[in-house]
Amino acid sequence: MHFKARVGEKLADRILQENLAKAKPKFVDSRAKVMLELDDIEATREAAKQIRNRSLENLDLWLETFESKATEAGAQVHYARDSQEICKLVVDIARRHGVRKITKSKSMVTEEAGLNRALEAAGIQPVETDLGEYILQINDNEPPSHIIAPVFHKSKEEISDLFARTHNTPRKTDINELTREAREQLRPHFLSSDMGISGGNFIIAETGSVAIVTNEGNGRLCTTLPKVHVVITGIEKAIATLDDLSTLLRLLPRSATGQAITNYVSVLTGTKRPDEFDGPEHLYFILVDNGRADLIGSEFQDMLRCIRCGACMNHCPVYQTIGGHAYGWVYPGPMGSVLTPLYQGLENALDLPHAATLCNQCGVVCPVKIPLPELLRKLREKQVERGLRPLSERIALRAWAWVARRPALYALGTKIGVRYLKWLASGKDRIKVLGVAPAWTQGRDFPAPQGETFRELYARGQRDCAR
Amino acid sequence: MRVGLFVTCLVDMMRPRIGFSTLELLESAGCEVVVPATQTCCGQPAWNSGDAPATRALALKLLAEFEACDYVVVPSGSCGGMIRSHYGELFARDSEESRRLDALSARTYELCDFLVNVARIDALPNADFRGTLTYHDSCSGLRELGVKAQPRVLLGKVGGAALLEMNGCEECCGFGGTFSVKYGDVSAAIAERKCRNIQSSGADAVVLGDLGCILNIEGKLRRMGDEKTRVLHIAEVLAGKADA
Repeated sequence: MHFKARVGEKLADRILQENLAKAKPKFVDSRAKVMLELDDIEATREAAKQIRNRSLENLDLWLETFESKATEAGAQVHYARDSQEICKLVVDIARRHGVRKITKSKSMVTEEAGLNRALEAAGIQPVETDLGEYILQINDNEPPSHIIAPVFHKSKEEISDLFARTHNTPRKTDINELTREAREQLRPHFLSSDMGISGGNFIIAETGSVAIVTNEGNGRLCTTLPKVHVVITGIEKAIATLDDLSTLLRLLPRSATGQAITNYVSVLTGTKRPDEFDGPEHLYFILVDNGRADLIGSEFQDMLRCIRCGACMNHCPVYQTIGGHAYGWVYPGPMGSVLTPLYQGLENALDLPHAATLCNQCGVVCPVKIPLPELLRKLREKQVERGLRPLSERIALRAWAWVARRPALYALGTKIGVRYLKWLASGKDRIKVLGVAPAWTQGRDFPAPQGETFRELYARGQRDCAR
Repeated sequence: MRVGLFVTCLVDMMRPRIGFSTLELLESAGCEVVVPATQTCCGQPAWNSGDAPATRALALKLLAEFEACDYVVVPSGSCGGMIRSHYGELFARDSEESRRLDALSARTYELCDFLVNVARIDALPNADFRGTLTYHDSCSGLRELGVKAQPRVLLGKVGGAALLEMNGCEECCGFGGTFSVKYGDVSAAIAERKCRNIQSSGADAVVLGDLGCILNIEGKLRRMGDEKTRVLHIAEVLAGKADA
């Protein structure tokens, strides 16, 4: 389905619209409040930006350091070039260890890879254990609509129906009861799982560790109970030190959920040691490229600083209006509108860089100061350079720019233009239907012009304000 | 001081009154105002559409028209932001064009910013508005140029006017230039949220500094059946032309 058609559908989705309206106090207001706890918000953001820049400028070095430290601690480090390689590596690891069931903690990179489908095709059962992701999985593998709140688009009533239908239990409407039911469903899976898969918010070079930031206990159960743990995350998530981690952790939960700290912050290093009671016997890291390496050294490198907090979408007027599914791929909102064309191909996401007002609300809340509007604009430039814009738009833009450089012609054009608009308004202060821009007047009136241009009036010597 | 008035293409076409109000404000602040007759557009539509060559041509045109001025004043945060924040990106860093555009950018001000921080005006002799106002912070002025306190300082000098802040005054109105017609349905839906906040403030008029947002907000309010909330450019209010 085309982006515009999806948008139309989402604007008419009553449940989605209600949820979007309710989300603002939760995400926007709570973030604003908890950020004030920092001594110096701007200095902390700048420090986080510098940390991420240092990571990216020497990414090869940090990845090599990470690999050697992680290996020392008993892990195996693999690199996956694309989605196919991710799936193949996971299936191979699972087969090597005779795995039949995998419990998964939340991971957006596995969404990029379509991993669950690949596992099912290989006869391995993946079980999503993040509550939101679990709900989506039992609802016929529905995609998430937000990177940290995957069921953002669903109502409690829909989830009540889904649970009753799927679990064959009496319909519950109390959130605590629904959560308890999900726990009861998931507990046996945790206990019978042969392998756990998690994402990684950061991988830390100096210790070879992975840091996982979660609010549900599922992350710890997935990473410590099964005998095999596979971490799947992007190569860009490498940071140098635990010190860097502590700075980033001041901003990640605050930006994401408006929490000073999440319920769980796990820093996991290596396999289970002889004197330890729990932890995996086998630990694998799959570090994913999937388009990331191409951004290093490019004019889009800033985007790789992203720490996946979701603040940009929470504050985006467009996301707040259409929700996540309209964006069409794994990542929605401003960060998604930058990443999707870069990872999926410019020509496969022509609308996304344009579906933004460039208001820069995303840029000012981004904890790592990614200039998102500037990157969106650069993507627009790439589209123009590659001739990907519609012919009508190219002609209109060229014609306008050509005339705007010729003042006499421009004066004539605007003189005629404003008279035409004034005539369209037929004596009223507004135009109800604007033939040259019907998309404007479908949802709004177009205020009528005064009727003569400023430059005409000024040239006639007028110094006061005409009506 | 010699101030070049860049009226902007939208004001030129849609509401010349805003241009004349600006002119009057600058003159009463003691500026010698010049209005280059050949001015057209700052190039922002081309820049935001990804057409860098067209933007460069229009930027050089504007440079030629305004380079002789001590200051350039723009009754728009959006066009002001284009000149001030983006002209420097158009040419190679160490080029002659870049040096000259940087120098021009540094002398370019959004109207309210100029009146408060450069002209340092004390009083607004012609300002007169009886009623309540709410101020919408347009995105580029606010986030590119730091225009936040300046309009409020100025509105505080308007006799008879009382400012009532709305919820979400810093939220985008949904205009976004070509976005408003490329994705008209999304744009109108964002505008509706903005208009509801304006209405909830209870103010008689919403005042702002960008004509793009004015067209969007006024168009949406009227379509929503709101005939009474007035939508005014801050220059009109400050120059006492709101009743024109």
